Amino acid sequence: MKKLAFILTTFIIAITLTGCGGYEELNDLSIVTAVAFDKTDDEYELSFLIANSPKAQTSAKEGEAKTTVYTGKGKTIAEASKDIEQIVPKQVYLGHINVVVISEDIAKDGFLKIADWLLRNPQTRKKFYLLQAKDEKAKNILKIVSPLESFPSQSIATLIESNSETKSIATSITYSNFISQILEKGYDPVLPSITINGNVKEGSNEKNLETTEPESYLVLGPLAIYKGDKLEGFSTTKESWAINVLKGDSKEINYNVKYQNEKISIETSSLKSNIKIIDEKNIEITISGVGDIYNINNKIDIQDYKEINKIEKTWMKSLKNDLSKVIKKVQNKYKADIFGFGNLIYKNNPKTWKKLEKDWNSKYFPKLNVKIKTNLKIEATGSLINTIKEDK
Amino acid sequence: MEKIEKNAKKVIEKTKKLYGNSPDVNTRLINLKGTNIGIIFLESSSQASTISDFIIKGTLYTKTNKNLFQNIFDALKNSLFNSQLFTINDYTQFAYFLSSGFTIIVVDGFSEAIIMETRAQLDRGVTESTSEPILRGSKDSFTESHSKNLGLIRKRIKDSNLWFDEMKLGRRTQTRVSIAYINGIADPKKLKEIKKRLKKIDVDGVLDSGNIRDYLIENKSVFPQIQSSERPDVVSQALLSGKIVIFVENCPFTLILPNVFIDYLHTSEDENQKSSNITFTRVLRTIALIITIFTPAIYIAITTYDQNTIPDKLLISLAIQREGVPFPTTFEIILLTTIFEILRESDLRSPSSMSAAMSIVGALVLGQAAVDAGIVSPITVIVVAFTSICSLIFTDIDFMNGIRTWRFIFILAASILGIIGILSFAIIWLVKLSSLENLETSYLSPFAPFSKKDQSNAIYKAPEEKIITRPDYVSTLNPHRQRRTK
Repeated sequence: MKKLAFILTTFIIAITLTGCGGYEELNDLSIVTAVAFDKTDDEYELSFLIANSPKAQTSAKEGEAKTTVYTGKGKTIAEASKDIEQIVPKQVYLGHINVVVISEDIAKDGFLKIADWLLRNPQTRKKFYLLQAKDEKAKNILKIVSPLESFPSQSIATLIESNSETKSIATSITYSNFISQILEKGYDPVLPSITINGNVKEGSNEKNLETTEPESYLVLGPLAIYKGDKLEGFSTTKESWAINVLKGDSKEINYNVKYQNEKISIETSSLKSNIKIIDEKNIEITISGVGDIYNINNKIDIQDYKEINKIEKTWMKSLKNDLSKVIKKVQNKYKADIFGFGNLIYKNNPKTWKKLEKDWNSKYFPKLNVKIKTNLKIEATGSLINTIKEDK
Repeated sequence: MEKIEKNAKKVIEKTKKLYGNSPDVNTRLINLKGTNIGIIFLESSSQASTISDFIIKGTLYTKTNKNLFQNIFDALKNSLFNSQLFTINDYTQFAYFLSSGFTIIVVDGFSEAIIMETRAQLDRGVTESTSEPILRGSKDSFTESHSKNLGLIRKRIKDSNLWFDEMKLGRRTQTRVSIAYINGIADPKKLKEIKKRLKKIDVDGVLDSGNIRDYLIENKSVFPQIQSSERPDVVSQALLSGKIVIFVENCPFTLILPNVFIDYLHTSEDENQKSSNITFTRVLRTIALIITIFTPAIYIAITTYDQNTIPDKLLISLAIQREGVPFPTTFEIILLTTIFEILRESDLRSPSSMSAAMSIVGALVLGQAAVDAGIVSPITVIVVAFTSICSLIFTDIDFMNGIRTWRFIFILAASILGIIGILSFAIIWLVKLSSLENLETSYLSPFAPFSKKDQSNAIYKAPEEKIITRPDYVSTLNPHRQRRTK
């Protein structure tokens, strides 16, 4: 009897105190995989991409899932989400959000105003990618179907993942990372942007998948530069990779060097960026990495190490020029400390930072003297030993 | 007990009465110069040709050399050609010997009877083991013949210290039960305890070793605490490691004691194959054990409570598969598992000619059609199939059934409490297993209590020359099984 009572008590405690009573069948859930924030006049527009709406007469395959976008409106985000829950017949499940897209209006108004709702929700994972919609409503980004991935949120996520390290336009930033970057002292964040190439209506139609050349597709745009939690502007594509190299976010880039009036393409890898504070007015950045000749049409004898040395030198000089130009532009045009120089000063010397903090972005940051050092080496020349030429 | 009468005719009449005039009681009265010699045997259990060859011939032969002996009885006793021949003087074992196929010879004027073995071969020969098949190792298996079974062991262990203690169990069946052990290795305390428990049994019939196994355990559990095997090599190995084996007449399955959990993850083949590979196989079996117990429960827990743990693509795929299935996941799993268990049971019972039809019905109708009809989702079929395949790794039917019981318990726990339910029941399960004890041997030995020495042949299998000692939990009497040579 005593034993039975003990077992029963254990169970009652286990059931009531653990808080794990959330029994939910999978087919009663609407799985939200992407969220978009938009703003119209004085109302917020929240959109959910629901991934598991089955086609009529489904055969049970993942590829057969159809995605649906639902939109709700409200004075607050919470209100908008309640608005959607009224339209969606099943229980909205936010545990698998993969991608969050915010519109330019939201970004200009201040991101922190909407940041709370997703973070506070106990269901969400907090590790989803955050993206800035460019020239389009954030909602429309979710609608574009991709022929290569089964649902839009997945295609956006793979796009970022494959681009962030190798192609260097975008960096992958998660939602919670972005918020902590905003809150850091002397640091302004950047966000990868995304836009639609083509028409939204065609892109959201399933027929878009049936053509061999899709009418509309998603493209990653240049980086969105923030000042605090507000959008300041978009960089150009060329600036984007330079920013990523300087921030140390991209490890591989493809760089074209002009050498003897011909372009040599160099695949650079193992890129490292090291920022060193000399004093509050002088900063030194060292970029190091190795290169592999990728494409060369000259009749240069690259078996000669002297030639290689010359190419290396031109390459270093040209990269240095490009990077300094970008830093200058960021300093003067956006006045946003996206490289985190201020943050480094704060970490090295908090007392000096206190003096600078107030006017950092407007006064001190633009006047910083940034010196760039490059330390690059060509290590290989691809599969060919020399260039293609006739024997003499 | 009643003495045997000095009149052969009377004895014959009495025997016929004893057996209720059953037609298989065969008697013959031979008159030898005025003295009646009665021959009684059961036609059903003895070999008629042996009787005519040796007894009748022998009886008539005594006519000629009668003068060598004092009387007919002595002449018969000493001149019959048979290796098993002895005398009794009362009715106590009369029926036992007759039913076992002995022939009884009574002579007028003597209150003793000659008993002679004329057993018919009522068993099949030594065949290949069907319930414990192996690839590499000896193929023979025990049969229904008691002496053949003991012989298969004697053949393997030629030491005279291999002792058999015999007793008869069952008031009506009088079944011979032999306790085999190697004197000097087996623990005498355990032996004494086993004998004590066997002696307590007073039942009308013992037909199979399974009938007596419940008398030999202390704690109740769904897991078997006595290993049963029909392979002589398994039994010999057990005897050599100090275990005690019980043979029951008319039953090819022996009982091996004491037995621990880890024995079910071993096979006799483990001793015959390369030890380095066996470790890997045993790890696989351990994984299979965990899979077969926990998979359905974990599937229920993560799909109904902790969806967060499933990768995105898989979750959506699962959600789409569940679409249109009318039942809750738990019900689905229980339904399919039950169907599989029924299928397994019916496959075991049905004659082999019908099993082909059964597998078609089982595989096609229950698997494919149930999915197409939208009664169950494909992933459930996969989960249940996977679980079942893993459970088939273990050959011992009692062990499989023990696993099955706990699988259902975990399924229910997961459907009420999710992962927490599985965890709390896993703890209860472990506590129950580790508290099991039989013959002073803990069920989870050599892990709980932990014995570093015995890890050399638990999950990890050390090379044969490194396993110096016998496991401590079996017997500590004579621990060294091999001498280290330099």
